[in-house]
Amino acid sequence: MIRILMQLAWRNLWRNHRRTLIMLLAITLGTWAMIFMTALMRGMVSQMVADGISALPGHVQAHHPDYRDDPSIANLIGVSDAELTDRFGAAGFQGFSTRVRVPAVITSEYDSRGITLLGIDPEREQGLTFVDHDKIEGRFLESVDDNGVVIGRKLATTLNTEVGKRIVLMSQDPDNEIADRGFRVVGLFEANVKAFEEQYVFAGKQTTQQMLRIGDQVSELFVLGDDYRDVEAAYSKTVALINDGAVVKRWTELDAYLGTMLNVMDGFVFVWIVVIFLALSFGLVNTLVMAVFERVREIGLMLALGMRPINILGQIILESLLLLAIGLALGSALAWAAVQPIKDGIDVSIVGEGMDMWGMSSVLYPELLLSDVILANVVVLVLGFLASLSPAWRAAHYEPIEAITKV
Amino acid sequence: MNLVFRLAWRNLWRQPRRTWLTTGAMVFSNTLLVFMISLQFGMYGLMIDNTLQAFTGHLQIQVPGYIDDQKMRQTVADIVPLAETMRSEFPDQNIAARATGFALVSSEDRSYGIAVFGVEPDYEPSVSTVPGLLSEGRFLGDNDAAEIIIGAALARNLKVGLGDELTMLGSGKDGSFAAAVVNIVGIFDSGISDFDRSITEIPLGLFQDVFYMNGSGHHIVFNNGGIDGVAELESQVEALLPSDQELVVHDWDALQPGLQQAIKADMSSAFFMYGILVILVAFSVLNTQLMSVLERTHEFGIVMALGLTPGRLGRLVVLETAIMGLLGLLLGAALGGLVTSYLTINGFAYPGMEELAAKFNLPSRFYPEVSPISLIAGPLVVFLFTVLAALYPALRLHRLHPVEAMRAV
Amino acid sequence: MAKRTLLLLIAVLLGVSAAAEERDATALVRDAVNHWRGLASDTVMTMVIHRPDWERTMTMRAWTKGDDRSLVRVLEPKKDRGNGTLTDDNSMWSYSPKVNRVIKIPSSMMGQSWMGSDFSNKDVARADDIVKLYEHSILSVEEIDGVTIYEIESVPHEDAAVVWGREVISIRDDHVVTEHRFYDQDGELVKTLTSLEIGEMGGRVIAQRQRMSKVESPEKWTEIQVVSVDYDIELGDGLFTLANLRNPRE
Repeated sequence: MIRILMQLAWRNLWRNHRRTLIMLLAITLGTWAMIFMTALMRGMVSQMVADGISALPGHVQAHHPDYRDDPSIANLIGVSDAELTDRFGAAGFQGFSTRVRVPAVITSEYDSRGITLLGIDPEREQGLTFVDHDKIEGRFLESVDDNGVVIGRKLATTLNTEVGKRIVLMSQDPDNEIADRGFRVVGLFEANVKAFEEQYVFAGKQTTQQMLRIGDQVSELFVLGDDYRDVEAAYSKTVALINDGAVVKRWTELDAYLGTMLNVMDGFVFVWIVVIFLALSFGLVNTLVMAVFERVREIGLMLALGMRPINILGQIILESLLLLAIGLALGSALAWAAVQPIKDGIDVSIVGEGMDMWGMSSVLYPELLLSDVILANVVVLVLGFLASLSPAWRAAHYEPIEAITKV
Repeated sequence: MNLVFRLAWRNLWRQPRRTWLTTGAMVFSNTLLVFMISLQFGMYGLMIDNTLQAFTGHLQIQVPGYIDDQKMRQTVADIVPLAETMRSEFPDQNIAARATGFALVSSEDRSYGIAVFGVEPDYEPSVSTVPGLLSEGRFLGDNDAAEIIIGAALARNLKVGLGDELTMLGSGKDGSFAAAVVNIVGIFDSGISDFDRSITEIPLGLFQDVFYMNGSGHHIVFNNGGIDGVAELESQVEALLPSDQELVVHDWDALQPGLQQAIKADMSSAFFMYGILVILVAFSVLNTQLMSVLERTHEFGIVMALGLTPGRLGRLVVLETAIMGLLGLLLGAALGGLVTSYLTINGFAYPGMEELAAKFNLPSRFYPEVSPISLIAGPLVVFLFTVLAALYPALRLHRLHPVEAMRAV
Repeated sequence: MAKRTLLLLIAVLLGVSAAAEERDATALVRDAVNHWRGLASDTVMTMVIHRPDWERTMTMRAWTKGDDRSLVRVLEPKKDRGNGTLTDDNSMWSYSPKVNRVIKIPSSMMGQSWMGSDFSNKDVARADDIVKLYEHSILSVEEIDGVTIYEIESVPHEDAAVVWGREVISIRDDHVVTEHRFYDQDGELVKTLTSLEIGEMGGRVIAQRQRMSKVESPEKWTEIQVVSVDYDIELGDGLFTLANLRNPRE
């Protein structure tokens, strides 16, 4: 029976191909818009979150209780490298490391700037932070006792310095004495968020600890779990492993704005899909109503000949669903095709400073999630089903005699 | 003409359900557009206002070059009398003079290099929200008193509280030693740590004394209350600048370039979405009108055989659409206006807004307002597109052969 | 055999003379610094800060002891009188009678200008770094008007806290510095300290007037003129304390 209904539905669709085509076009466009826009928005938010997490860095961080309010050399925690390897190495994190992070002043022959000095473990931090290792001019740091520094390209321009030249970093030790030394710039990094290029200076952790005379103390510990959307496991593990005194926080707490952005995005995607559907639904219902109306006599005849009303209902609904399905398939495919050429990002640096304000980088990457595509298709089909119930119902309940004799 | 109108009207109501559905699409999208555009513009307005009213103001008078270099020596001479003159010229404006310097601010335990602003205690509250953000103590009073207000985050970092003393050490305008001891009379809390840590305010009189300003300052701030009319104000102020100094007027876009761009970025994506909506609605209309034309083929055939030109017939079709469009516009605008007005009273909040609010200095509950533009802009575009959509079926009429048409069922 | 010994001798001699040359260069610099500071010194000087549109003059008194310690107090103009800075090793404190407070200069302010001049706080605090943090070598030796002038190139050690590519100091055989040039790491000259007047004072021949200015802005400079100086006097350690910075005993 279904097969017959399908055949009827299909043929009915194409009886008035112009009407069907126009509707199809609208559905395709609507679907394309749903998915494409969603991909762009998701990409934007994902990028923002990824940037945020890579800037923190990490999913979970631990600090001295006073550090967040006063990120200076006075508030350090003692997690030596040995401890780090022993305790955290076996815990199954995707990545973990400790850093020294203090305010400092960098000076070249021409200028000086206040920056944040990061004493890092480059081997452990590989791939965990915003540093794009493919875009490094020169080289990145190689070990904790590397004698070089890596600064942002923008900072290098401001200071009028370059790879191979020396700069001086000046900060304070715990006794409030000046701690400074010269470093050679061994590399320049680029970051999505331009402000990072001016703010952060990377040096080897051990070299930094020696310069600041802080032994093996560090400013922060961070770990990366498996999924940034669910960090509970990483959080509890870290709490268990860190020595008492240090305060552990999830990234959603460290950057509340980012944390909620993800959820807001999910909600937004759903709303967007529903809105588009509603805009389409009027036309869809109209189309169905008219299609039914044209075939009143025919439907009446089928009913008179014994077709059960439920099958009429089914036929109409199938018509609607088929139309939607084709539109969805085409729209989804088009959206996928539209995403491909811009996979490497759209450059929106004309509003770069504005993007900075929102916390976004000036290059947009689309993110096409299968879950979004499925959501769009499912929502449209379900709502389409519901929308077509009314005309289908009426059609199924025509009085055969009246219907046949309708003019 | 009256005849055509009556015909169009009657044609519409031959198929009430269809007409209502098509109009419904328009009403839906119009309501949405009015609501969203009101929301959007309201949000932008708020973002701008809040950012500007926090400290920057809508206009500033400075010396040329100060906006880029911010050097101590780039001063506006006799700044207090100049501000007073401006106040008498523009009695509706909120105007205040300021001076800026960089100093080492020390408490017993800690020192920080920080920006110090000399402000006019009587006028500063009307140009900046900082005095209103005091969580402890009071704002500055006497223009010559050795008082200071600092942000809560800075107070924590310096380990000081209300009533404690801070020492300021810096360089005066002529490079000489500038030093003063000031009393903390107020602590402000904006909720944004970076902001709290970066601004301290002392009375302008004290500043001019300590930093050897000789009556000069660095900028005069105008708070216009909103961004409407700022351009006009700017030219008016420019005309009244004293000719014995070289001064320039900068508007808020020059002072905060990122703001305009942030809005542009957001607007582009919003307009893209609205565009999609409008096109989809236009498609619905196209479909409907096409169908309505096709099913009247027989009728049109007769009418054309009787002498009605395809052109006139086409106009009929377009008129039908226009009437529907107008209905959709009016109803949609009305409904959208109603929904928005409801929110104007009750406020609008969605999940995630609090954090957004905290980051951008916005209130966590938002009261959008309907403006003439937000009410008409969206629906008007929809109207235009739907009328355009009707052109295709209307033009097709030219291909209609009366005799063939009459044979249609 | 003899040939080999000769070669060896020559090699050793060359090595020795090279070392001697290096020692000489470092010694020359060391001597110049010592000459300028003495074991202890008490100097009165005027500092003129010149800019295209204004000029400021200050009179100061400065005491130094050894390599690390110095105290500077402002005598004129009246509104700045009593302000002072104390340096001890790498730390610097500032005092202002207006606020009656002694403040330690944090690292973030060490790059700021000292008293508004073209010298930075760091320049003043680290005057003796020139000897310790660099590798010195003699570039040339010249004779002008009967005076021998050594031109010495000083290259900072790899991780020295010095931004310059190299510095070139011209020192006379009587230990007076005639010129001190600062080059960036591309070899471009950035700023120069020039001795404009050399004469005898306090029992020594010293640079009486020196000017520091940047190559790219010659109309901005700072000049220091020595008014009077006493060398190798007895200066108590108590002079170089925070208490003394605040309450001058002389």
